[in-house]
Amino acid sequence: MGRIVLKKVTKSFGETNVIPPLDLEIEDGEFVVFVGPSGCGKSTLLRLIAGLEDVTSGNIEIDGTDATAAPPAKRRLAMVFQSYALYPHMTVRKNIAFPMKMAGMPEDEQKRRIDSAAKALNLTDYLDRRPGQLSGGQRQRVAIGRAIVREPAAFLFDEPLSNLDAALRVGMRLEISELHERLATTMIYVTHDQVEAMTMADKIVVLRAGHIEQVGSPLTLYREPRNLFVAGFIGSPKMNLIEGNAAAQHGAHAIGIRPEHIEVSDQSGEWQGTVMVSEHLGSDTFFHVQDTGLAETMTVRASGEVGFKHGDTIFMTPRADQLHRFGKDGLRLP
Amino acid sequence: MARAITPRQKWTFTLVAWGIGLLIFFPILWTILTSFKTEAQAIADPPVFFAFDWTTENYTTVQERSNYFHHFMNSVIIALGSTLIGLAIAIPAAWSMAFQPARRTKDILMWMLSTKMLPPVGVLVPIYLIFRDVGLLDTRIGLVIVMTLINLPIIIWMLFTYFREIPVDILEAARMDGATLREEIIYILTPMAVPGIASTLLLNVILAWNEAFWTINLTADDAAPLTAFIASYSSPEGLFYAKLSAASTMAIAPILIIGWFSQKQLVRGLTFGAVK
Amino acid sequence: MATQHSRAAARLMISPAVILLLAWMLIPLGLTIYFSVLRYNLLMPGDNPFVGLENYEFFFTDPAFTGAVWNTVMLVVGVLIITVVGGTMLALLLNQPMFGQGIVRILVIAPFFVMPTVSALVWKNMFMNPVNGLFAHLAKGLGFEAFDFLSTVPLLSIILIVSWQWLPFATLILLTAFQSLDSEQLEAAEMDGATGVARFWYIMLPHLARAITVVILIQTIFLLSIFAEILVTTSGGPGTASTNLTYLIYAQSLLQFDVGLGSAGGVFAIILANIVAIFLMRMIGKNLDL
Repeated sequence: MGRIVLKKVTKSFGETNVIPPLDLEIEDGEFVVFVGPSGCGKSTLLRLIAGLEDVTSGNIEIDGTDATAAPPAKRRLAMVFQSYALYPHMTVRKNIAFPMKMAGMPEDEQKRRIDSAAKALNLTDYLDRRPGQLSGGQRQRVAIGRAIVREPAAFLFDEPLSNLDAALRVGMRLEISELHERLATTMIYVTHDQVEAMTMADKIVVLRAGHIEQVGSPLTLYREPRNLFVAGFIGSPKMNLIEGNAAAQHGAHAIGIRPEHIEVSDQSGEWQGTVMVSEHLGSDTFFHVQDTGLAETMTVRASGEVGFKHGDTIFMTPRADQLHRFGKDGLRLP
Repeated sequence: MARAITPRQKWTFTLVAWGIGLLIFFPILWTILTSFKTEAQAIADPPVFFAFDWTTENYTTVQERSNYFHHFMNSVIIALGSTLIGLAIAIPAAWSMAFQPARRTKDILMWMLSTKMLPPVGVLVPIYLIFRDVGLLDTRIGLVIVMTLINLPIIIWMLFTYFREIPVDILEAARMDGATLREEIIYILTPMAVPGIASTLLLNVILAWNEAFWTINLTADDAAPLTAFIASYSSPEGLFYAKLSAASTMAIAPILIIGWFSQKQLVRGLTFGAVK
Repeated sequence: MATQHSRAAARLMISPAVILLLAWMLIPLGLTIYFSVLRYNLLMPGDNPFVGLENYEFFFTDPAFTGAVWNTVMLVVGVLIITVVGGTMLALLLNQPMFGQGIVRILVIAPFFVMPTVSALVWKNMFMNPVNGLFAHLAKGLGFEAFDFLSTVPLLSIILIVSWQWLPFATLILLTAFQSLDSEQLEAAEMDGATGVARFWYIMLPHLARAITVVILIQTIFLLSIFAEILVTTSGGPGTASTNLTYLIYAQSLLQFDVGLGSAGGVFAIILANIVAIFLMRMIGKNLDL
């Protein structure tokens, strides 16, 4: 019902090549997140799938049929835009009804679907308002409502949470995940926020400059980043990357160790440094350590009880089983 | 600045601003008042402000003597006709430039604007001769053509700035929702563009109504709109202030009303979007 | 979103406007240039021989020419000074809190909607007339001699009339610019110890610079072509005391029927306007990112 396959897809704007030949398979019912820094081509890729941009070459298949040349309307995909793109002159009810009206669905069926979507999204009291009278979170829900009533083959989300404040974002993240559990429809979700990617995805696609850097489950990416870019991009706080002697000791060009995989002590350890800043989050404490001779700043995550102050000497020992080794080409060593 | 201001300051600003505002408005007010006076009261010394015998006689006299209504209709037809034809030509052009911008779009827009900056007197002679030779002098059609052409760049430009404010996202959302190009234009674009089209229409009616170079030079009497008709009042001297005022009041009243409605859009239209 | 099909449709939809404007620009422009090198007078029928730059020579050596250039400059500069300075102060005032702001705004804008012939006639007769005008009444009431504005200082009188028409335009645009000024900037300046005058000079005025430039350029384009006001009030006189370039060319071509001479003047007017237009277009172009 929602299997999407990209075969050798490329996209150029004039002379500039945004997407080099790219292959990707998205299984039916999967929640796939495209993640990467801004300008990596993730939104362009989504728009190619949506049909809002023409591919320069290659093929896009949706459920086994070639949809490369099909207009957006014929692809049975629904999209939630970053700006929500609600129709400002229509009420919430009419906004949600619009795709069904375009499809020529009978009125009573439209009404049934609007009511059930409104109920699921807590919009029942707002159906006769206009988008201008709604809060950011409510607009977001309307945009989702407009997408689900069509019962599409797949949902496309283009950074849907980036206009919401931090608290709402966490809530909406859960709602979208629940929606996916309930509908079990394919969802493709674009974000630059790796936390969203990690928490929501079945499968993450990490992109850089139009290239796929790695495809895999969140834990695969966390445990076995394929290269330095993915290692640095996935995980928060960022993985510590160390070059030079310390790396050479492990037979690698560079080694990486996540802040949560370092044991700290005030007595002894493999590495030594001076605490510059300690950030107390309550449950955890982050130490930013300098003068280690390894990297400019090392970040260490310890439990909330551990207390080091500015200027204290700290000893650090990496967990050997959690050490990532990378070669000169940036690729992971086995 | 969101700070409490003392009532005294506010009253001072109010008094000064109202004083200056009334001073600037005074010539218009005086014209309106004079239009209801007798000719003798109109030039009375000392001037009378409100304590005169209000009469509407001047309005009937102006109509009877010079067929005022005919010239008024000329103004309506020329202003409205040129604006509507201009909109019909400009809407598709502005639409395609706003939503299908190509490499040259900016150049085309700037070039269109540059035609508006051609001084009318620079092309007066050939236009006059062409109009004379094809019999368009002193015809409504001729003036509608000229007005359409001189205001077309402003119409296109205004529409363009309004269309561009419609987020492309929304049109794309409609496309994703299964709307065809036709449905997209009918259900989404047009309702969203109506306010912009309406204010473009109003501003251009104002500009065409008040245009006084071509209307004076290309008409004699039959097709003369109010600008040219009022200009004919400049020759006879004597006791005619009240009638002049009546003719003037009727000529400016519709535009004052339209203008007050569209004052918010005025800035954008007159500065080609350079000031917002 | 741009597909081949939609691009072709776009080109089709834009072409009527382009073709019309192209014709409107090229045909008269070409004819004006063509006429300007002919000896062509409507009162003297017969063939119109090519005379080279003779018309230009006549136009530039016409005794009225220097005066007309001077009058044009005075008219443009005079009106610009009055409207920009007055408009800035008026906009600053209107931006203050007061009762009935909307109504004051309407009162101030109103003159812009008055057609040029009406405002010229009203000022000429009801205010500046030396016998029956309000100014004459006022002068007599205060014990002075009545002053004949339009015969004594014709150009200044026209400058005043035109300024009254254009002051609203400057005020409105500058007011819009004032309102777009970020109030946090002013608050920051206040925290930094800037006085009211300093805030106006260092924060507000630089913010207004762009709007003021736009006002100057757009008004210049229109003021170079002032016509109806002169025709109705003084007909360019007394003598040629209030004749500007536009009026001079009009007089030569439509009153003296000298098509060749008028066309040469027209070419000169076009060049003059273009110099201003280039600056204006550059400003507008910068603001337009496609």
